[in-house]
Amino acid sequence: MTTTDGDSGYRPPPPRPPRSQRELPAALGVFVVVLLSLQVFLLTVGLDALLADDDGLAWVTAGLSVVLAAGSAAFYRYLR
Amino acid sequence: MSIPLWREDFPLTSAGEDAVTRREFVRYLVLASGGFAAGNVGIALWSSLRSINEGEPRSIVALADVPEGTAYLFDYPTGADPAILVHLPGGELRAFSQKCTHLGCVVYYHPEEDEMVCPCHEGHFSADSGEVLAGPPQRPLGRIDVEVRDGTVWALGQEPESAARAIP
Repeated sequence: MTTTDGDSGYRPPPPRPPRSQRELPAALGVFVVVLLSLQVFLLTVGLDALLADDDGLAWVTAGLSVVLAAGSAAFYRYLR
Repeated sequence: MSIPLWREDFPLTSAGEDAVTRREFVRYLVLASGGFAAGNVGIALWSSLRSINEGEPRSIVALADVPEGTAYLFDYPTGADPAILVHLPGGELRAFSQKCTHLGCVVYYHPEEDEMVCPCHEGHFSADSGEVLAGPPQRPLGRIDVEVRDGTVWALGQEPESAARAIP
């Protein structure tokens, strides 16, 4: 005995909303907040390096800060 | 039906509310993160490009006015930079920036311990090298090169902290 879609009660899944309308997981927001907290900490380290005339530490701090910002943007873009 | 009185005082409608979605909130956070990163890069650039005044040679005080075991306060390289000249027991002369490397309080010479002491947070530095002996400071005092010319003590220039760190 064969059945049709209508007979088995199968319903196709609703169309996925466009990406801009999908809800972000709350965990992503928490993760970005944590990254932002690290950015605040890195800013204090950078200022301390400036006052101590420690160029090397200032550049390492800036590099880490850029990596964190890029990571935040990447998570925002892809992890949904 | 008449409009409630509070509606006249607070004429808000749901259509006028500006809701911030979770996506927008995260976007603001990401933008803020980018702003912090730009600020850190700016700080690093500023740190690299700014010129540090290391001072020109100039006379400080007559050596006879600073007996052994005493200190003399002066300003170097500018009037806004307090410095201290120490005549160590044994005749050696040392000069340091008087700013503590912890939070910028002025340090004083304690001849009985042969140390420079910051009274704010009990930072102790060697009066011979400026190295940290105890307390919260992490970096040595900025050192000023001095020499005696015709009975007068001269400051020759302030060593950058990176060089001061290398003092054994």
